[in-house]
Amino acid sequence: MIPLRRLLVGIGVAALIVAPIGQGNYIIYTLSSWLLFSIAAMGLNLTLGYAGQVSLAQAGFMGIGAYVTALMTLAGIHWLFAAVASISACFLIGLMLGYPALRVQHHFLAFVTLAFNTLLFLVLRNEEEITGGSFGLVGMPRPDFFGFSTMKNLQFYYFTLVCFLLAAGVMWWILRSPWGRAFKALRENPIRAESLGLKIRRQTLLAFAFGSAFAGLAGALQSPLVQFIEPSSFGLIHSLKLLLMVVVGGAGYFFGPMLGAAVVILLPEVLRFTEGYYLIIYAVLVIVLMVYSPGGLIGLGRKLYDWMKPGQEARRDIEQGVQL
Amino acid sequence: MLRKLLGTSAVVLALSAPPTMADVKIGSIVELSGPGAAAGTNFRDGVKLGFEEVNAAGGILGEKVQLLEYDSQTDPQVSRAMVQKAIDEGVYVITGTVYSSSTVVNMLVAQQAGIPQFTGSEAPSITQKGNPYIFRTAFGSQKGMPKVAKYMAEEMGIKKVAIVWANTEFGKGGYGAFMEQAKIYGFEIVADVPTEQAQTDFSADVLKAKNSGADAVFVYLTEEESARFLREAQKQSIGLPMIGETTLIGAKVIELAGDAANGAMGHVGLTADAGIPAVSEMVARFKAKYNYTPDHNAIKGYTSAWTIKCVTEMIGSTDRQAFADKMHGLTLTAAECPGVLMDTSWDDTGEMSRESFFVVVEGGKQTVKAVLPPN
Repeated sequence: MIPLRRLLVGIGVAALIVAPIGQGNYIIYTLSSWLLFSIAAMGLNLTLGYAGQVSLAQAGFMGIGAYVTALMTLAGIHWLFAAVASISACFLIGLMLGYPALRVQHHFLAFVTLAFNTLLFLVLRNEEEITGGSFGLVGMPRPDFFGFSTMKNLQFYYFTLVCFLLAAGVMWWILRSPWGRAFKALRENPIRAESLGLKIRRQTLLAFAFGSAFAGLAGALQSPLVQFIEPSSFGLIHSLKLLLMVVVGGAGYFFGPMLGAAVVILLPEVLRFTEGYYLIIYAVLVIVLMVYSPGGLIGLGRKLYDWMKPGQEARRDIEQGVQL
Repeated sequence: MLRKLLGTSAVVLALSAPPTMADVKIGSIVELSGPGAAAGTNFRDGVKLGFEEVNAAGGILGEKVQLLEYDSQTDPQVSRAMVQKAIDEGVYVITGTVYSSSTVVNMLVAQQAGIPQFTGSEAPSITQKGNPYIFRTAFGSQKGMPKVAKYMAEEMGIKKVAIVWANTEFGKGGYGAFMEQAKIYGFEIVADVPTEQAQTDFSADVLKAKNSGADAVFVYLTEEESARFLREAQKQSIGLPMIGETTLIGAKVIELAGDAANGAMGHVGLTADAGIPAVSEMVARFKAKYNYTPDHNAIKGYTSAWTIKCVTEMIGSTDRQAFADKMHGLTLTAAECPGVLMDTSWDDTGEMSRESFFVVVEGGKQTVKAVLPPN
């Protein structure tokens, strides 16, 4: 990392640490939900932004994570084990969902994943004996760590922050590893990647598996945060919301999903003072952004930067942007 | 330049500062967008009208009421955040939410903070969780269903029933309660049709009910779905009596379904056409202000506003704990608190009871067929 970027990341982390101090419960709750959606969006960014595989099932994977954690913690098992189980379950199911992606691409793949999300929703709702059906599951405990309770909102925020930083670290590592470069090659030109000896098959499956595992962690955090889950919290509309986060923030950029999640979760709250108009203003802002900058907010920032400082060598790998 | 900037910021800050004269803050958290918007908006407008009148009548204990409004977007997670926000802003009592799946979540937060909450939800589970701070503004479906089933069996002589219900927390609660009654009165369930929230095409469901050989169709759907169902039933000339709860024959449903609603009947806890002078007057004031006919949700909201005023004045202070304690086992009569419109009682779980009505829709209006005693 270049020193400037290292400094900025340091400032960012410090800001996240002080952000909730002195705030009301509501702001802390919203910040926590921003962090956990960032984790899920980071996963989708890996699948979509880096590996170029369209997935409309991310909320479904959050659901799997949330239900596994809820059922295990309600049975008295510690959150840590439940979270590991959630992440592993999502990894495995993500691996399986990757198989159709070997055959179909782009919008066909979107339909396949969409069907998967809907199927999952129906299973969650109809298997009432296990999942509680449309009544959902209520009262998941917030975890304790060596006597440190996360029951209060502020403590829970810091707990979420730790998970978020760990997830971001793992994501950073994946992207810097040969895997990360292989994912990008898969997105940019799969045929050439294969000709260079990359195993496209394995890479496609892994793109789904890793992306889903992040959603599993997000789900494992959502259970104790909201302390209530029901199937419709993981419906298709929420998958689209996650897709919006990735695209608005900037697909294929490391910080894109965090920014996108901030826009999708926090901006409607900021605009709420406009009362009945806030959804309209919000929608218009998103449309304008997408028209002017398909690379999302980060892409827009880069465009402005290049415009102010011409002569810079622009990043070439993402010139086309992510193709849906 | 800097001075100008500072000056402008000061003006903006001054304008956005909350008014300081109000002391009693009430949080109104309802579904103003999303699938629950029809019911939520009615409830919110009722609450608003109620507190405007309370303020005009001198407020609560001489203090003006400040109503803080939040939109839950019909999303349980958002509703929880909104209740959290209301508590942060120091509300005395919360009104809302209407959808049961939202209430089930956010009542936990209000309970932890010890804040009384008046919900418009009707799922039986809400008052069965032992939360001492939750109070209903209409009875749960486990109270309404025995009344409907009894009427169906004894007055209409129905034996075979087709049931169409919403596969949501709301629908399942009612479905369970109805099935229990069906056993007691010996109804034969000839068709059992679950439907989706926000479903638009009911043709298959209507056909199934029509061909089932039932004597009547029991419909338990939320408002907009009920209207769609009724329209489809008219199209296929179903030829069976359609019986339901409040959500089948509410004002909103009649407005949306038009003449397809004629002939539908059912049990309502509250209705604009009850023939009770206090209710009719409230409905007239509501119509004058908002330009539409209020449904039962609006009346629920309105009565909760007045209940808050009367009970607070009974305990003599804005003490949340004393308020919750007083509500349990309380009977509030329309004579001592005219704003509650009808005599109402709350039991130890926050469940309410009062008289209710069996109505049929005729000529686009509800007509009361029978007044059913409280149970």
